[in-house]
Amino acid sequence: MLDEAAEVVSVTAAPWVGLLIVTTLPYRFLQALFLDQLIEVGEKAPQYGNLLGGTASMIVGALVLAFWGRAIYARACRLAYSRGVAPGRETWRVPATALVSFLLTSSALAIAGYVSLFTCIGAIVAAVFAGLAVGTLELNERVSLIEPFRILVRHARTSTPFALVFVFVCAFFVALVNLAAAFALGVWALGALGGFDAPKWRLLFAPDNRRYLLMLFAGALVAIEPFWIASQVVFVRKVGAQERGDDLRAWFDVLRRAS
Amino acid sequence: MPSSSQWCAFHAERHGFARCMSCAKTLCQECATQWDGIWHCAGCLGNRRRATVERSPLFSWLAVLSVSALLLFAGARLMVWTAAAFAGLF
Repeated sequence: MLDEAAEVVSVTAAPWVGLLIVTTLPYRFLQALFLDQLIEVGEKAPQYGNLLGGTASMIVGALVLAFWGRAIYARACRLAYSRGVAPGRETWRVPATALVSFLLTSSALAIAGYVSLFTCIGAIVAAVFAGLAVGTLELNERVSLIEPFRILVRHARTSTPFALVFVFVCAFFVALVNLAAAFALGVWALGALGGFDAPKWRLLFAPDNRRYLLMLFAGALVAIEPFWIASQVVFVRKVGAQERGDDLRAWFDVLRRAS
Repeated sequence: MPSSSQWCAFHAERHGFARCMSCAKTLCQECATQWDGIWHCAGCLGNRRRATVERSPLFSWLAVLSVSALLLFAGARLMVWTAAAFAGLF
């Protein structure tokens, strides 16, 4: 499944991964800004409600943009997985019912994520369902308050979604290390150029610079997001084909006509 | 000589690429559409979709959009509350 997801990402690289990154970056950077402000104010956070609230409102606005980008990329993944070639302009035509259902489920799961941050298991479960929300968005053919969640629960009956969360947590740390190494390599290489203030940049790109670390976290999340979405879409499509028995029915029809 | 089932049912000069699993017609690459790993012709795919899709009432749209807006608004407040709670803990 991960191999197929990687193949889907390579097929959809241009321009759909680019669109996903562009729509997700504001959201990730604002999250990093929020955390930076929170760490800055420390235990006086309740007195800085307006500051944090303003940033949180901007995060929610950026989140809606990120949802739209994810919906388009999930459709691109589905089309690429079905056809084996890069999808064209039809990718932009995400059904309105799918978009609205995805908005509903993702908003609810975002709240579930914030509430469950106090528990480790709750956050993992929220991440599982958030991934399934992306994978199942195009399965929503009618607008309903309950049906999108029913579809989510139906697809969460196996252990595969939980395994995917574990895999991508590991992938996050790998991406983090690779990004940090890339920055260090870049500063070292540019240090060879005359006029480049390498010591200043080495100080800025140091692990004890909180903002640099937060940007690294944001960058690592952006880096693994295309693979995360692709793996969710591939998983949902595989489950769907098996559930309906369409693959076996089609094979039986072919055999019967050939005989 | 190739049998008739090896030519597209809609384009007689094109070789068959897949078979529609609903009507069993042979299809060329342009006519064949794969949905969830199953090949269909455009007509059968359209029929299949029309048979299963119903238009959602306006009330459902309003309800879902309102609830989503409420959840997003609450999410912003909850984010700040959770952050303040965490900051108080550490």
